[in-house]
Amino acid sequence: MAYDLLIRGGRVVDGSGLPSYIADVGVKDGKVAEIGKIKDGAAKTIDAAGLAVSPGFVDHHTHLDAQMLWDPYGTCEPQHGVTSVVMGNCGLSLAPVKAGIEDAIVKSFVRVEAIPRIALEQGVKWNWHSYGEYLDNFEGKVGINVGGLVGHIAVRHHVMGEDAVERKASGAEIQKMRGLISEAMDGGALGMSTNRNDRHMREDGKPVSSRLADDNEFFTLCDVLGERNGGVIETILGRNKVEHFEWYHELARRTQRPILWQSLQHRWSEPNLWREQLDAVEPIFKAGYQAYGLSMTVPLVRHFTLKDCQIFDEFPTWKNLMFLPVEVRKQAFADADTRKKLQGELDTVKNANFHRRWDIPKVEKVFKPENQKYVGKTIAELAAMRNQAPIDAFLDLALEENLETIFWNANNGGDWNAMGEILRSPYVLVGTSDAGAHVLFGADFGYGTILLGLWVRERQVMSLEQAVHKLTFHPASIFGLQGRGLLRQGYAADIAIFDPNTVNAEEPTWANDFPANTKRMVQQAVGMHYTIVNGTVVHDHGRMTGDLPGQVMRGPLYRQQKAAA
Amino acid sequence: MGVAYVPVARVGELTPGVMKEADLGGRQVLVTLIEGKYFAFARQCPHEEADLKVAGVLLDGPKLRCNNHSYCFDLASGECTLPQGGAPLTVLPVEERGEEICIKLEW
Repeated sequence: MAYDLLIRGGRVVDGSGLPSYIADVGVKDGKVAEIGKIKDGAAKTIDAAGLAVSPGFVDHHTHLDAQMLWDPYGTCEPQHGVTSVVMGNCGLSLAPVKAGIEDAIVKSFVRVEAIPRIALEQGVKWNWHSYGEYLDNFEGKVGINVGGLVGHIAVRHHVMGEDAVERKASGAEIQKMRGLISEAMDGGALGMSTNRNDRHMREDGKPVSSRLADDNEFFTLCDVLGERNGGVIETILGRNKVEHFEWYHELARRTQRPILWQSLQHRWSEPNLWREQLDAVEPIFKAGYQAYGLSMTVPLVRHFTLKDCQIFDEFPTWKNLMFLPVEVRKQAFADADTRKKLQGELDTVKNANFHRRWDIPKVEKVFKPENQKYVGKTIAELAAMRNQAPIDAFLDLALEENLETIFWNANNGGDWNAMGEILRSPYVLVGTSDAGAHVLFGADFGYGTILLGLWVRERQVMSLEQAVHKLTFHPASIFGLQGRGLLRQGYAADIAIFDPNTVNAEEPTWANDFPANTKRMVQQAVGMHYTIVNGTVVHDHGRMTGDLPGQVMRGPLYRQQKAAA
Repeated sequence: MGVAYVPVARVGELTPGVMKEADLGGRQVLVTLIEGKYFAFARQCPHEEADLKVAGVLLDGPKLRCNNHSYCFDLASGECTLPQGGAPLTVLPVEERGEEICIKLEW
């Protein structure tokens, strides 16, 4: 057999953004060996007719630092076509560490990333010191590729102990931190991350240690990456007004490394901020530097009925009605004077997060056959069909169905045109899955399958080729993941095979698969047929194969040292 | 137009600093007693709808922090204090009426 694996007849979407084409893909020794019309056989053949064959997705914004130690797949990453993950974001990493600071790191993870303490206590064995030794833990033990950023929080505690959450660092301490970051880069870190978000505290209420760093400390540490010419700098300031972009510009100019900032998202409460952010970041790129904004693909969607919803709670009468007994509420909704009051509040209350646009909420499900014609219509369309004012059409339909009609609304990410511009922007890095974090409250493993299902297929804001590029070669290039992110001869055979007509993410569900049987939320995918890591199938139609072909993705400075040796 | 007082607890029933669940018209609210004052608020965090019975931590102020993303809210006004300008917590007025603790709803 010429090949270990042959993927026959799929539509190759190669990650470059170039037009897709139908071809076979031959895989040998974990690499893409040939693409085209292949005559030779293989030990295993996958019929991909009618399916897309793309590079595996790169989830660059995860907090899987702990989870990957007990879950070699970072479940549910491969279920969504992800073959590579980057850990260590937002200033948080599990290395470097030394005796006595472990709990300072745990306290930070527990609060900032909402990871249950018991899972960290039972799942993290702390059998490393340096960042390189931490990465060594994954060699031969993972089902997907892993890489990571060294976190400012651990570095600061390593040098300053508990003083790290109390005071500024001295010059000597900053020099020691520089040494640790340099050592981490030599050990394979893909860059460094920091955190200045004023929400981000430790479990004990103290600010995470990186928040006590002044600009001098921060810039001096980032200089390490500039001086050594490698790695990305990932930041979370917590605020992203236009004035912050001078800071990003200075950081990018000074280090000439890619800067990642959080975040850029359409929000109805500040509907023009995304545009101002893109306008503010453009001069940085025009000047020849890189400062990518991170953006999410998952809109803040709510399915609601007028029996139970909170989207109108910023409007006093709406709010109070929504807590009244249903029969009283129905009487109030039917009352003409009350409706005038409700409309008046929508017209006059300022600074609401609810968008107050009737062209966005839709009728999702009705319960009377005669109302079936309204399914999928916006409230504005419903009003036109019924020749009513939108508020009357909305309330009357709900009343006709005993308030059981299900409506759909998207607040953040709900403006399709804005989201299209954001997601297409070359200055935007798609994906803040936060995988491994906030595990009791949600799961966004499906940021990629949602990009392909919602934004490509349903909303058509970008082509399949553009979207795959955004999920693969775009992040792989920025993070310096050598030999990954494209389907080209010689590249790693990290491959996702999916049906573009069905691919999407399911709603999150509960699982009990964290240490100490801690429950958490997981998310399955639709239409993702196979996920292949370094030439080996790890995910086959929802079933994990048990193989562990993942590799540790070490950064450029490690690779240079190894090559020199 | 009207006003309703919906009982959610008996006077003396609430343990200071503990959040009691109540159902109002099908919606879940949490009621608590802090420094002799009653507070009632929706059980869902307005940020990403985390269950505040699980994620909520009562703080001095009185404030409430949601442990999902550390958003903080003033329990009297509902104002999001961290980050400033975030979506407000839904808060409801509470009154003692005889032996009952009631939420006052006006429309």
